[in-house]
Amino acid sequence: MTEPMTGRLAGRMTGRMSERVTGPGTSRVMVLCCPELSAADDGGKREAARVFERVIQMVTEFCPAVEIVEPGVCAFAARGPARYFGGEEVVAGKITAVVTALGVECRIGVADGMFAAGLAAREDAITVVPPGGTVEFLGRRPVSVLTDPELTRLLTRLGIRTLADLAALPVKDVASRFGATGTAAHRLASGFDPRPVAATPPAEDLSVAQEFDPPEDSAEPLVFAAKALAEQMLTGLAAKGLTCVRVQVCARWQDGSEHSRLWRHDGLLTAVQVADRVRWQLDGWGAGRDAPHQAGPGTQRETGGVVLLRLVPDQVVRATGQQLALWGEAAVTDRVARAAMRVQALLGHDAVLRPSLSGGRNASEQVTHTPFWDKREPEYPRDRPWPGQIPGAAPACVFPEPRQALVTDDAGQTVTVSGRCVVSGIPAMLTVTADSPREITGWAGPWPLNERWWDPERASRRARFQLVTSDGRAWLAAVRDGRWQIEAGYW
Amino acid sequence: MEVALAEVRRLRAARLPRVAESALDGDGPGLDETGAFPVVPALRELLPRDGLVRGSVVAVPDSGLLCLAVVAAASSDGAWCAIAGIAEAGLMAGAGLGLDLDRTLLVPDMGTNWPQVVASLLDGCELVLVRPPSRTPVQVRRRLEATLRRARGVLVVAGDWPGAQVRLRVAARGWTGLGDGCGRLRACCAEVVADGRGEAALAKARWLWLPAEDGTIAVADPADIPFGLPGEEPDTGHGGLRVVSGG
Repeated sequence: MTEPMTGRLAGRMTGRMSERVTGPGTSRVMVLCCPELSAADDGGKREAARVFERVIQMVTEFCPAVEIVEPGVCAFAARGPARYFGGEEVVAGKITAVVTALGVECRIGVADGMFAAGLAAREDAITVVPPGGTVEFLGRRPVSVLTDPELTRLLTRLGIRTLADLAALPVKDVASRFGATGTAAHRLASGFDPRPVAATPPAEDLSVAQEFDPPEDSAEPLVFAAKALAEQMLTGLAAKGLTCVRVQVCARWQDGSEHSRLWRHDGLLTAVQVADRVRWQLDGWGAGRDAPHQAGPGTQRETGGVVLLRLVPDQVVRATGQQLALWGEAAVTDRVARAAMRVQALLGHDAVLRPSLSGGRNASEQVTHTPFWDKREPEYPRDRPWPGQIPGAAPACVFPEPRQALVTDDAGQTVTVSGRCVVSGIPAMLTVTADSPREITGWAGPWPLNERWWDPERASRRARFQLVTSDGRAWLAAVRDGRWQIEAGYW
Repeated sequence: MEVALAEVRRLRAARLPRVAESALDGDGPGLDETGAFPVVPALRELLPRDGLVRGSVVAVPDSGLLCLAVVAAASSDGAWCAIAGIAEAGLMAGAGLGLDLDRTLLVPDMGTNWPQVVASLLDGCELVLVRPPSRTPVQVRRRLEATLRRARGVLVVAGDWPGAQVRLRVAARGWTGLGDGCGRLRACCAEVVADGRGEAALAKARWLWLPAEDGTIAVADPADIPFGLPGEEPDTGHGGLRVVSGG
């Protein structure tokens, strides 16, 4: 166990380290990757988090400043430990031995720069790219290692198959053709890390903290508080035109023990993403309510509840992206944001939605729901014609899942629609799920709709009807695979 | 007795500034001189003080277009609106009525602790449209009404709410435009009846296009009311009754 550090101090130390880590080409980085842990699904995540926490504890024996890149992957500067233990291979071998003793499979890669080291860690148990050999090592990789499928596809089509091909292009041309993503990819391919680091750390303290009195021992309120803190931190940074690449999450327990971890996210961090990481981290520390039932070195001792949660922005860079819409987007007032967050704390992030109008041919597609705080983008573009839309006023009830129904003719036979859109009889009665039958007083249709026949998963072939029943209600019904369903109601 | 009265006076005095304060910071959008949110012109006559009185409950037993119509004008006027427990709310239709989706929150599933969710939403949004998932016990109702008065918003309940200041319901309706295998739905003529307590105790009924052909709400001219609606027959004194049909 390392000596607990205060947030400020830790921030400064790692800040210095990170400059070396991500500087162009010269710093040696060691990446440790546990494939089983990073691949853990939702069910195994808690367990994976706990195991990884133990792995990190082991690694900190060799190097105190460890940066967690993503669940199951961590990185640290290799120079110091290598000098102390007598070589990068030796350190890597020692770490592998310790981690394997925990029963966790791990791979280690050493190279100049985080990106190359990460790739090296995917190769073999221990892969050491010699100093200066990183560009050559990267050059052999296919462009698909850049985790941007769209860019990769485009590059492949243009005949740029390896990173060497990409690096050979003039950066100016790459920038003018592919924009910021292309420039970032070019930097990676040339052996630089993706983002230039701000030369000087911010002079003032940009960290945010919240104290808990009484101490909080369940994870939910902590995660909730973390979201608010992250929001506050990012707002503070944004006011100065900055953003952070890493964030240090630091928690102090009732008994005075303190834990801190660095989280990396190479895109821009959003508040929700930060909160997710805090949740992951708390799971790992066993701060959850069911902590006493869990085994593991972190949860054996009685730590009590959390009294302080602090977020420290680390590796602060100039904010370059994420321009807000110039107009059209209503500003969310603090009052609404607070209410939405309170409901999200009760029901989860996806429970509070913001609608936006979208394209599409069906009533259910014409409104896209986006969780509060997420970027709102219509699922289907609105400016296309969308032939096949039902004309006229929109229905006031659009069932998220169509309701099963039955339409019969005068003889009591189910009305069917043939492949050539011929109706077998005149619709006379409508029965919706458990309701009693309604008499049909007016109808129109069938209006056939054959959507996305090229995509077997999303294809749908229906004949739609509008029905009016004797109670004055109007319905949008459809026959799909010989079965009737109600898609929407007009009342 | 004297002591109790003095205590009441003291409490009142203590509460007054707070009320004034909340009125100040809450009086952003949609507040006119009477302290009511605006409604679409067609509904104005049906509601006391021509709008949605702050702190009041409006019950609309069948959720649908009428619910959305009640909140639409206030929303387009700048108020935030939360729609809770109505997963099937047709927001495309709402937008046609004037509901501003940029200022709309949706909570499709409120879970078991729904009064807490509604109370939280009332604190944030001026208008909350809610369909309680279960029958509302009296205590819960009282608590929410207290929250509502404090937040000075309007609660529109898609369902039953004993004690609601106003109750709006559709007594009869009929669609035009659909024939026997031909045409398409064009407009719906509906008789909306409003009753309630206090100022709204006197029941009023109006024939409205709900919706009209362009998706908005309009008062229906008696001459245009389609013949043969279920429920109350329109006044047959007009010889020129005609069915607004098409297609």
